[in-house]
Amino acid sequence: MSKRLRIVAGIAAATGLLVAGSPAQAQVETGPWTSYSPSFTVQERGCGTVDNLTFQLTCSTASGDQRAERRYATYSGGTRQFEGSFRITSLGGTRVSLKQTFREGPTAGPFWMLAVERGGRLYAVHGGDTIATGATVGTTVRVNTVHNTATEHRTYINGSRKHTYASSGTSFYDKFGAYRTSSGQGPATVVWSNIRFWRK
Amino acid sequence: MTRRPTLLVGLLFLAACGQEQQDPVLTSELTTPVDVTLHWRPEPGAAGQVVEYANAADGEYTVLEFAPPGKTTYKHPDLIPETQFYYRVRPVNGPATATVDITLPPGEEVPETDGHEWAEPRKGGGGTHPVASPEAVPGALKAEVKHANGILFTWEDHASDEEGYLIELKPAGAADYRVAAQLEPDVTSFGLITLPDEKIASCRVRAFRFGASSNLTQQRTGKV
Repeated sequence: MSKRLRIVAGIAAATGLLVAGSPAQAQVETGPWTSYSPSFTVQERGCGTVDNLTFQLTCSTASGDQRAERRYATYSGGTRQFEGSFRITSLGGTRVSLKQTFREGPTAGPFWMLAVERGGRLYAVHGGDTIATGATVGTTVRVNTVHNTATEHRTYINGSRKHTYASSGTSFYDKFGAYRTSSGQGPATVVWSNIRFWRK
Repeated sequence: MTRRPTLLVGLLFLAACGQEQQDPVLTSELTTPVDVTLHWRPEPGAAGQVVEYANAADGEYTVLEFAPPGKTTYKHPDLIPETQFYYRVRPVNGPATATVDITLPPGEEVPETDGHEWAEPRKGGGGTHPVASPEAVPGALKAEVKHANGILFTWEDHASDEEGYLIELKPAGAADYRVAAQLEPDVTSFGLITLPDEKIASCRVRAFRFGASSNLTQQRTGKV
């Protein structure tokens, strides 16, 4: 924190204006939320490689299964929130999915997918809606998804609501990383950070 | 007798607080329950301002925009309801190269055999001039068209204390340059993959450091 910020924060604290909070305590959307840490498995297929939170597609192959992802544990019912930030450090390819919410049986499959197109347009794979432009290489983008499994799935990019999708069902799971969509190709390198989960 | 100096110090402190509140660099207003508009006073001579937000005062700040020098306002729309938002702006300082004009071939064709190894950021390093000095300007900028969507930029690192490099690009017809990529310190080569509206554009590379943060401003969004 800069000297000036420290001074401002000190004055705010002295006058009772500073809301108690740390990154771990920051809450978004109506709570109360309970933090939890679901387990995950790492998926590497084709030219996908995972190194902790760095996800890479090293080839430009436009066919086959090319993925580098974390697949989190299935959740059933209730409302869940995912928060994470990604930074694209290089993107030679296009239509690479970064974050997905998947539905499990009996109608298993991708329920919601956030992807990036050549040059940095973020879009929803189903329907193709533009979610945001300028996912500038090197700049961090924050993603919050709030999923009431019985009603809707909301997506916030950098704090702004960008997508709403009706939901019904019970069993879903979160995935993120770098995944070649059916019309996409690598290469791509994506670094995720500050991953958190809540439920209520 | 000892109360007067104490009182004086107290009055000076309150006056300083009042000054801070009356004339902050950054202010915000909640224009609807879920829309915030920011206004700031840019630092004279800065290359632009970076606008950032977090959900806690000491949280992880995320860039909302690299604003050009003449811009003084930003609208943050459709926000997460019933949530605390903190904002700050920081000036972006540092010298940029002369501009290079590029024209890309039409179409979207990119050969599958191109693994884009040429696009990976590569570091050269070796600069000796502080970013505040005009000698820190990146040298020998070249822009090589690689295919319908790709430009390879190469330059020399002359800066010793840069926080990174910015690739700035102004598409034909646009009013201002925008940041197309933010790169790490010492990088001297990067392949930019362009947007569809960037077929004809003017480009430059800037060595940069962020200046001191503005005051923080906060808003709590309402219900929708």
